[in-house]
Amino acid sequence: MNILIQELKMEWKSLVVWCLSLIGVLLLFMLLYPSIANQISDFQKIFNSFPVEFQRALGLTNIEFGGVLSFYTFALTYILLAGAVQAMNLGVSVLSAEVRDKTGDFLFVKPVSRIRVVSMKMLAVLVQILITNAVFFLASWLILNLLSPTSFNIELFVLLTGTLFFIQIFFASFGFFISAFLTRIKTVLPISMGVVFLFYILFLLNQTLKDVKLSYISPFGYFDLSQISKNMSYDSPYILLWGIFVALFVYLTCKLFIKKDLPSI
Amino acid sequence: MNVIEINQLTKYYGKHRGIENVSFCVEEGEIFGFIGPNGAGKSTTIRTLLSLIYPTSGTATIFGKDCIKFGREIRKDIGYLPSEVFYYEHMKVIDVLKYSASFYDHVDMTRIDTLAETLDLDLHKRIDDLSSGNKKKVGIIQGLLHEPKLIILDEPTSGLDPLMQQKFFELIKDENKKGATVLFSSHILTEVQNLCTRVAIIKDGSIIKVENIHDLRENNYKKFTIEFQGAFDMSRFKFAGITNLTQEETTVHFLFRGNINKVINSLQGQVLHNLLVEEPSLEEIFMHYYQKED
Repeated sequence: MNILIQELKMEWKSLVVWCLSLIGVLLLFMLLYPSIANQISDFQKIFNSFPVEFQRALGLTNIEFGGVLSFYTFALTYILLAGAVQAMNLGVSVLSAEVRDKTGDFLFVKPVSRIRVVSMKMLAVLVQILITNAVFFLASWLILNLLSPTSFNIELFVLLTGTLFFIQIFFASFGFFISAFLTRIKTVLPISMGVVFLFYILFLLNQTLKDVKLSYISPFGYFDLSQISKNMSYDSPYILLWGIFVALFVYLTCKLFIKKDLPSI
Repeated sequence: MNVIEINQLTKYYGKHRGIENVSFCVEEGEIFGFIGPNGAGKSTTIRTLLSLIYPTSGTATIFGKDCIKFGREIRKDIGYLPSEVFYYEHMKVIDVLKYSASFYDHVDMTRIDTLAETLDLDLHKRIDDLSSGNKKKVGIIQGLLHEPKLIILDEPTSGLDPLMQQKFFELIKDENKKGATVLFSSHILTEVQNLCTRVAIIKDGSIIKVENIHDLRENNYKKFTIEFQGAFDMSRFKFAGITNLTQEETTVHFLFRGNINKVINSLQGQVLHNLLVEEPSLEEIFMHYYQKED
């Protein structure tokens, strides 16, 4: 427990900043909604006049600019991107921090097993992701209620907002794996930004290519917001795949990290 | 009883040698010195004992238990002070110490204050505001706080001023009197000589010799530098105990082991310009051990 508390103590400031930023981004987007809402049909026309590839690349296909939720979907695309970077940061840094800040010689000579350190640190990341999602869920629900004159589909709202959690868990566990795999990680942000944008670009590319095999590569494709809006559900093969990947990453992280030599100072 | 038993321990970092077939034992209650130049493998050996790294082959036991398999259990009774200490930068000293204590059962927290007082350390400063010497003090308290049965020190005195070093040695001696076994790694021979009962000498990843400090003292080498005025007879120095004899014009260098009067007698009737008798550096002793091995 002490490791978990220590982690949360060290990370709470950055957690607050991330939560506020995510809410800020959403708020910025959603504040546009009232002014757009009146002229929604004009916007629809403009977007429809874009080349279809461009529409897809922007994540605009299948988005009907009807209600507040469709505009929310548009904003959420970018929230997911930012949330993925946050989660990946957490995942990559939580284990590698001990090497980067050279505190490994402190922590790993304590009477705790490696597996306990790893699991406590993973738990700390999970807690932070849960807090982020809870805060974001409440904030977005509030914002939508304030800005939308009419009621919206709660079920779809939950489904859409829930994707943040799944995306974050995926990237956090992938981050664990990377940090267990690489010996020395000097800086975290370039790695997480790089990986997240790589996956996102793959997803965008596939919006145009529509290749089924490629769609299995990017987690953004597992939770395609326009598909969710259309089907009112997550796609079960993708959810299964998500579960397999997360479990695999966590398992490999434990396996690798337990046998890892800690580089000396 | 042996507290540490190292048996044919070998560690390769990829193709790079860490240590090769290192074997030695540390008995309960002794202060055991572990000396060697930088990069000889001292830290590699110690880090293996603490299961921070895993051996390529060979085994090590602490308190009779395999140090990898029972790592968690063993580490309950180990206090470790690394050569350079790093802690969570944004924490206060007292919080680091409390966090450290939270890993052990039944820690006497009053020891924090007494130890901090002895070492003259401000507990309410942040870690990143501390000088390296003060960080070292945090390391010392952190290593001794839980009254470990085995204290492992890896070049512990670097960064401490002479006064603090003295206090630190007193602390270690006190812990030793209370029953703690100490493994003391260093590249400074004199501090090992003053503190330890036995030493292992390591070079290039292999143990060259395990020796009693008492014997090492008896066999103490002195480094002579004698500058003569005018001509002298080199053959005067051809007697047992003299090694590494070299001559530069009117100056003679050599290492000597044995009764010092022999050298003095050999100088009878000579006019000297200068005479230096020094403790040989560790390197010179190593050179000697090498030659003996060949």
